[in-house]
Amino acid sequence: MKDEPGTVLLFILPPSSFILLKERHMISTTTSLIFLSCSIGFLVFMVLLAWIGRVPIKYNLRNIIVRWPINLLVAIAFTVVVGMLVFMLAFVNGMYRLTAGSGHPGNVIVLSDGALDEVFSNLGYRDVSKIELNNLVQTDDRGRKMASWELYMINNQPIPNAVKGGRHNRFLQLRGVDDPVTSGEVHGLTLYEDGKWFSAAGVEEVDKVNPAAIRDLTVAVAGDFADPMGTGPLVAGRRVFGSRTKQTLGQAVLGEGIARELGQDQKKATLKIGDTFDIGPKQWVVVGIMKSAGSTFDSEIWVKRDYAGPLFGKTGHSTCVLRTADAASAAQLATDLTTNYKESAIQATVETEYYEKLNTTNLQFLVTIAIVMFFMSIGGVVGVMIVMFAAISQRSKDIGILRIVGFRSWQVLVSFFLESLLLAVIGGVIGCAVGSLGNGYSATSMVGGGGGGGKSVVLKMSVDTSILMLGMLFALVMGCVGGLLPAIFAMRVRPLESLR
Amino acid sequence: MQKLDDLLLALLENPLNVVFVGVLLLVVVLCVAYFQQFLFILKNLSRNLVRSIMVSIAVMLLVVVITLVWTVTAALDQVTQEKSKDFKAIATERFQIPSQMPFSYERELSEGAVRRPGDVTPQDSMSWSFYGGTIDKEHLTRENIVFFFCMEPKKLLRMENDKPISMMDDIDQLSTTDLYLLEKACEEMEKDPRKVVIGVTRLEALKKRVGETIRISSLNYRGIDLDLEIIGSFPKGRYGQSAVMNRRYLNNALDAYNRDADKTGTPHHPLSDKSLNLMWLRVPDTKSFSQLAEQIEGSDAEGHQRPSPFAAPAVKLETASSGIAAFLDGYRDLLWAVSYLLVPSILATMALVLACAISIGVRERRTEMAVLKVLGFGPNHIMSLILGEALLIGVVSGLVSSALTYAIFNWGFGGVNFPIAFFPTFLVPGDALRWGVTVGAVTSFIGSVIPAWTARSVKVSEVFAKVA
Repeated sequence: MKDEPGTVLLFILPPSSFILLKERHMISTTTSLIFLSCSIGFLVFMVLLAWIGRVPIKYNLRNIIVRWPINLLVAIAFTVVVGMLVFMLAFVNGMYRLTAGSGHPGNVIVLSDGALDEVFSNLGYRDVSKIELNNLVQTDDRGRKMASWELYMINNQPIPNAVKGGRHNRFLQLRGVDDPVTSGEVHGLTLYEDGKWFSAAGVEEVDKVNPAAIRDLTVAVAGDFADPMGTGPLVAGRRVFGSRTKQTLGQAVLGEGIARELGQDQKKATLKIGDTFDIGPKQWVVVGIMKSAGSTFDSEIWVKRDYAGPLFGKTGHSTCVLRTADAASAAQLATDLTTNYKESAIQATVETEYYEKLNTTNLQFLVTIAIVMFFMSIGGVVGVMIVMFAAISQRSKDIGILRIVGFRSWQVLVSFFLESLLLAVIGGVIGCAVGSLGNGYSATSMVGGGGGGGKSVVLKMSVDTSILMLGMLFALVMGCVGGLLPAIFAMRVRPLESLR
Repeated sequence: MQKLDDLLLALLENPLNVVFVGVLLLVVVLCVAYFQQFLFILKNLSRNLVRSIMVSIAVMLLVVVITLVWTVTAALDQVTQEKSKDFKAIATERFQIPSQMPFSYERELSEGAVRRPGDVTPQDSMSWSFYGGTIDKEHLTRENIVFFFCMEPKKLLRMENDKPISMMDDIDQLSTTDLYLLEKACEEMEKDPRKVVIGVTRLEALKKRVGETIRISSLNYRGIDLDLEIIGSFPKGRYGQSAVMNRRYLNNALDAYNRDADKTGTPHHPLSDKSLNLMWLRVPDTKSFSQLAEQIEGSDAEGHQRPSPFAAPAVKLETASSGIAAFLDGYRDLLWAVSYLLVPSILATMALVLACAISIGVRERRTEMAVLKVLGFGPNHIMSLILGEALLIGVVSGLVSSALTYAIFNWGFGGVNFPIAFFPTFLVPGDALRWGVTVGAVTSFIGSVIPAWTARSVKVSEVFAKVA
């Protein structure tokens, strides 16, 4: 509930929940409008009835308090269901935000024709270098075309010191780029202050102690080191030093998420600049950390394409991302390249559309959540029904007296209906609060277009106003469905018969 | 009847299920032995039939969700669990995904790169190449795309002494008719490499039928477009979306492409040296696996080097479970949340609904319980009656629900359709019956234990004082 702490109380204003459903393609516009109008109209009607008409609200409130143990059970059931709904939607919302935050509306992503994902794209079949010469592609301050030429690779890397019985390998996403500065500009990525993009060669040389030539001097007393040759590294209580050789390390720039993940291998919170790690057969040094939170680049390692590609038997490019002035120019460029570029078969897509296509996995999760929540909600509905039916059968004399003292049957209906709604609201509010605890948590997941491939991503779960309102609306719908039938039974109780 | 037999056999495969059936039989015997009490419990449940039915429906629906969730997670657990005997090892390119090795590796890998006396040879092997394409290049959609596994048809299925032999998982679980048809199709594919087998679900998406011919414009092997004849299909379920062709057809097409390239002086196909995606090698035990890994990777557990015959690209050998676990790594948080948040939430909801119903039932019948006590029923007897009511409703609902889930999803939909990694569908296992009953029993017990204790503690004097 970091966004707006008070929004949980706005349960009678559910429009944004419909917007959420609409955005996630769960319901059509017509359905959402009908559903929205009916729900708002119904809720307003119920509140007005209670306000204008003589409905024994205090009587219902007192009953809820008097019968608190059983009502508490129902409220807990609502809390569990709504809390789970909010939590799961926070996960999917995090995925949507991630894909939405990864694309720039002015960018056009170019892949080889027919490639469903970057990992299957190969722009090396024929010459595609001229695509960046299109007039719509912008030029940067240095007078260079804002074209990011990239080679996307997935590396299957053994995990150092893997736990027995646990996973032994992890997939690392590598993006080999030609010019990291331009690529950073095109993708809108910058580095944290102490970092730098990798050099033109993409490698650096460091001193390395040659283990084969180590001559160690063992010192009798720990801490009292005889070190006539200068400084050597301290290994297991002994000062060792030997002939030094030069070692070539690849330079890498890491996304924040993958830096944290790789840091765990070395028992650190995150890898920092200067730390080394392995990719494939080589060792790499971190030269920069990208400010990449909230995008798919958060899970990527950027390296020099010319250096990394051949290590994995890859040449050429998989992807080219071109920056245009605005969204309209990007759409124009995408159409132009796809239809008119004859040098090689390519497909150009506006980057935001490309990332929208990666939402297929999200949609799959969303549909699953909808099905699971439907079944779980039956539990809540049955809980309310059981309690309300029992309440009515036990309070039939009360109902009779209410009718005799002048309350009409519809007022009794509203009274009992509001009682079940109140239970739903209590459970819903607590459920929203419990589910909101997931807000901000990091989680790994996959995003993909459903045609193979996909990207492993680190996302931040996000609870927003729409989700909270959807949670409250869900609780209200459960309360309505569960409370309506018992309320109708209450309305039909005959006063004289009930008092016999 | 065949399906019912399959279900029973599947159920009895697991020793836990045998124990479960034993416990169930014991319960039935107890019901018969204490028939009067059993009838009394049934009468009590039928007194408020609406409430009993509502609770039963809620439990059944929640058991459906739990069964479906556990179907997916149990299957993933099973494939990622290390086996110690008769398992498959996967040889792939050491560092890159997707793995792309030269096809020249195939022979040496299938022999386990044997070079020294005492080296291990795999019991069986299977090569995999992936060829993807569309039947409508101009209007590319998910529906008109098909991915083929290119392999030796005889490795897909052959019959030896009337027993199905296959390197593929669960092929031997197909019905006798499906096995017969698939075997014939494999024989045909061996004779004519143009012939292919495609899963029923994929055929429906492609709007094609067995007997039709198709032309595939490749998406990954650019310029290698193939004419194919569909001669068979996989039934719905695990292989419903799959397609298989003879690897010889793809290799011949690549050779033809390269011959044409030589004539015109253009480069060979970029994937001509990368057409072997992975190899499956069957090994008898973990010791053989370690030895085989040493032969292929070129180093042993102690780090002693022996030259690997596979240098560029380097090759690694891992157990199938380890390889699959790496692919599922991206879903680890999701699977954790499902196992440790969603399932407990569903169980809690079930227990709460049951607790509501049983608590109300106990409160409504306080007077009756006092009368029972007066008639000589002991406190434990009353408590067991209340627990019996809850357990009966929970166990029966759980059993019916899981049985229906098994039947409807496996026989009606061909499995649970939840594509994750490279598993398109999951068949509900026979164990589901045990899950349903156990979940029903445990949640009903938890939900009813406090109300039952309350019923046990009813004081006759207090109840009759109020009545008076």
